Amino acid sequence: MSSPAVPTTSPAPPTGGPGAPAGPEHPAEGAATGRGARVRALALRYSMLWVLVALVLAATVLYPGFLQLANVQDILTQNAAVGIIAVAMTFVIISGGFDLSVGATYALGATVFAGVTKSTGSVVLAGGCALLAGVVVGAANGTIIARWKVNPFVTTLGMSSVISGLAYVYSNSAPFIVDGISFQYLALTAVAGVPLPIWILLVAFLAGAVLLSQTGYGRNIYAIGGNEEAGRLSGLRVPWLVGSAYVMTGVTAALAGMMDASRLGVGQADVGATVALDTIAIVVVGGTSLRGGEGAVWRSGVGLLILATLTNVFYSLNISQHWQLIAKGTIVVAAVALDSLLRRRRT
Amino acid sequence: MTAQPSASDPTASGPTASGPTASGPTAPGRAASGPAASLPVAEPPPPAVVCRGVGKVFGKTYAVRDVDLEIPAGAVHALVGENGAGKSTLLGMVSGRLAADTGSVEVFDTVLGDGGPRKARGLGLVTVYQELTMVPALSAEANVFLGGQLTRRGLLSRREMRRRYEEMCADFEVSIPADALARTLSVSQQQILEIMRGVQADGRVLLLDEPSAALAEHERDILYRILGRLRSRGTTIVFVSHNLEEVLRLSDTISVLRNGRLVETAPRERWNRQALIRSMVGREIGVTARGATHEPGGPALEASGVSAGIVDDIGIRVHQGEIVGLWGLVGSGRTTFMRALAGLDRTSSGELRLGGESVPWPRSAREAIASGVVMVPEDRKNGLVPGMDAVGNVSVGVTRFTRLGRVDRGRERADAERFTRYFGFDADRLDAPVRHLSGGNQQKVLLAKWAARTPRVFLIDEPTRGIDVGAKSEVLASLVSLARDGAAVIVTSSELEEVLAIANRLLVFAKGRVVGEIPADSPRFRVRDIVRLGFHEKETER
Repeated sequence: MSSPAVPTTSPAPPTGGPGAPAGPEHPAEGAATGRGARVRALALRYSMLWVLVALVLAATVLYPGFLQLANVQDILTQNAAVGIIAVAMTFVIISGGFDLSVGATYALGATVFAGVTKSTGSVVLAGGCALLAGVVVGAANGTIIARWKVNPFVTTLGMSSVISGLAYVYSNSAPFIVDGISFQYLALTAVAGVPLPIWILLVAFLAGAVLLSQTGYGRNIYAIGGNEEAGRLSGLRVPWLVGSAYVMTGVTAALAGMMDASRLGVGQADVGATVALDTIAIVVVGGTSLRGGEGAVWRSGVGLLILATLTNVFYSLNISQHWQLIAKGTIVVAAVALDSLLRRRRT
Repeated sequence: MTAQPSASDPTASGPTASGPTASGPTAPGRAASGPAASLPVAEPPPPAVVCRGVGKVFGKTYAVRDVDLEIPAGAVHALVGENGAGKSTLLGMVSGRLAADTGSVEVFDTVLGDGGPRKARGLGLVTVYQELTMVPALSAEANVFLGGQLTRRGLLSRREMRRRYEEMCADFEVSIPADALARTLSVSQQQILEIMRGVQADGRVLLLDEPSAALAEHERDILYRILGRLRSRGTTIVFVSHNLEEVLRLSDTISVLRNGRLVETAPRERWNRQALIRSMVGREIGVTARGATHEPGGPALEASGVSAGIVDDIGIRVHQGEIVGLWGLVGSGRTTFMRALAGLDRTSSGELRLGGESVPWPRSAREAIASGVVMVPEDRKNGLVPGMDAVGNVSVGVTRFTRLGRVDRGRERADAERFTRYFGFDADRLDAPVRHLSGGNQQKVLLAKWAARTPRVFLIDEPTRGIDVGAKSEVLASLVSLARDGAAVIVTSSELEEVLAIANRLLVFAKGRVVGEIPADSPRFRVRDIVRLGFHEKETER
């Protein structure tokens, strides 16, 4: 086939190297060229990882016990609940959505788990009921958002109130205090010397990472978050995909509620006020964009560790919880502002 | 390789009973009388696509009305028509993107109903859309495999996808890095990926909406070759195009639409360029108005030492009443250069004089507009607010008809009417949301919007991309009027003939530099010499 001087492909280096022919028309949007630019892009891409490394180094200096096994285990156990929700939240945010109802679902999970255990004596049945409640909440969110095209912010904020109300009605506004070792199995069992919540956290991150980055389903989540119409026109079941992400946050939030109820031996409706902010914070601090279409599960892992390290250091230095609130909020807004700033530079 | 269509397919929906003698409008043929009537012959294969009385209403008007059409399996079928004739709408209904309001679409004997794109795809129908449907944050490769990822045991088989992607790149004779994010790619590169996605999906029917509009000449040849190969494999191809040469070159059968109705369908042999145009518009049109032959006035814009991205130290001088064309291959920097002049590239630098007076280099569109330089962008979607009517679009950001901060609607409307009329826009459509307008009409609104800022210098990027013959000559003629009325116009188009038809002067770009400046009275002011100039520099650089 004779054709003008357009070179056929060679195993191309990532993002148009110096030799890339007929480069982008608009240089402002052009791929970075040159080694310096590539190093900068790499530094930027992993910027939150560097922040974490710096933070851990600082933490070990400020608080010598920081990296001790017991402390690390403590950190992970305390954050297991929000961590697993954050994995699911990563899916929701990348798909272009948002879930503010996880706090209420967390409380519902805790209440149902404790309440059903108390009335039937069966922990397994109670766990099943709590998880089912999570599925129902997620499916409701998903249906309203994906099928009826209601703004996710409004939907989940409203649902949050509904779920919370249901939890209060079910529990009669009183905590279910459960005795008995079987209820605490979920939180206190250790497998191979490591507490079960940590295992659950690790499995959630691992499974989430594989699902998002290694499967067609994960690709499709990115696609609908980046350009929903393109996804639809490519034959994707957009409502189903969007809905599935909310089911994930619903189930993980309920599971997280169960884990904490199990740890405390109590299930009540008035917990979880900070869960939504905490999980969204984990996701955005890691560098996943609130605009959807970009991000990764490992980023949420980094976000989790950054926030957990900060909290741990604050506690060890006896800084009051009120200051922690201020710090956490500032960090979240700063992370989103940074994302916005970097984006503006790109275009 | 050009796939000169073999003899027409006699099994096809014998076109209109009266036979299209290309003499003008014929009654829309009832294709449904087809196969059942001719029983004795061997059973023909089922048609790929059948439309029965298909119609679509937008607002109060029919975009498509009562279309009966049968496309035999294995055929290459073209849909042509003027702006707003309903081609893209019809294609949209066949692809499942739009649900038909009346009638039904059948794909291989299965009714599409309102199953949407997913059902269409399940029936083996794959669509390449005109509006780019790239996911900006995904890589080139991921975009090509969107909705059709290759997997093994549930996991993505990255190596296999990379291999296929590179095969396809070799096939298309392009090298787009697999990991480059779609948002970093040029429009034509994205268009190629879009086509790759369609080809990769390996459907039985491939629909393409203006596949070549964003492509350069040599890229089109590659597209034609690939379509030819798909055809020989038995893929049914249905495409919409404004490029009549392309239609005549590729098709087995051609349908003409006018005002939402199917005017005629006939085999390729019965058509030629004139017949197509006559059928599309009902009247003959000269290709373009050979324009700017008047004397330019004083200098309007002088820029020197302009650098931005690949653009390296370019100078330009344009006079009042003059049209300067820019031409170059994709990636040669002509759009980048224009964006820099319009203040859209913050990294750019240079020196600028307007009307003979030195002004600071523009750092934002706001600054450029204030000094009388506007850019009419290539992408109509980014230039207009789709849900707003033409009046609103024209007056966005224009403050002269506000009184104490309140918009005087009457004056706003009169103003919008005046400016859109200048570009031949039908005043009846002023109140329709612009997303319902055809590409040509959107282009007119876009031009009116920028003209309403009464600039001294117009920078116009691809003003005729994807619009039909009639609207093209109107738009080109209106650029000539702008120049006659004293504006300086810098225009770029990948349709070189169009630039040559209206420009007083042409600058040829290659690799970010100007490699030639040719006045209209030079013997080198012709396609062959200019294209050679544009390519030459590229080859010697490698």
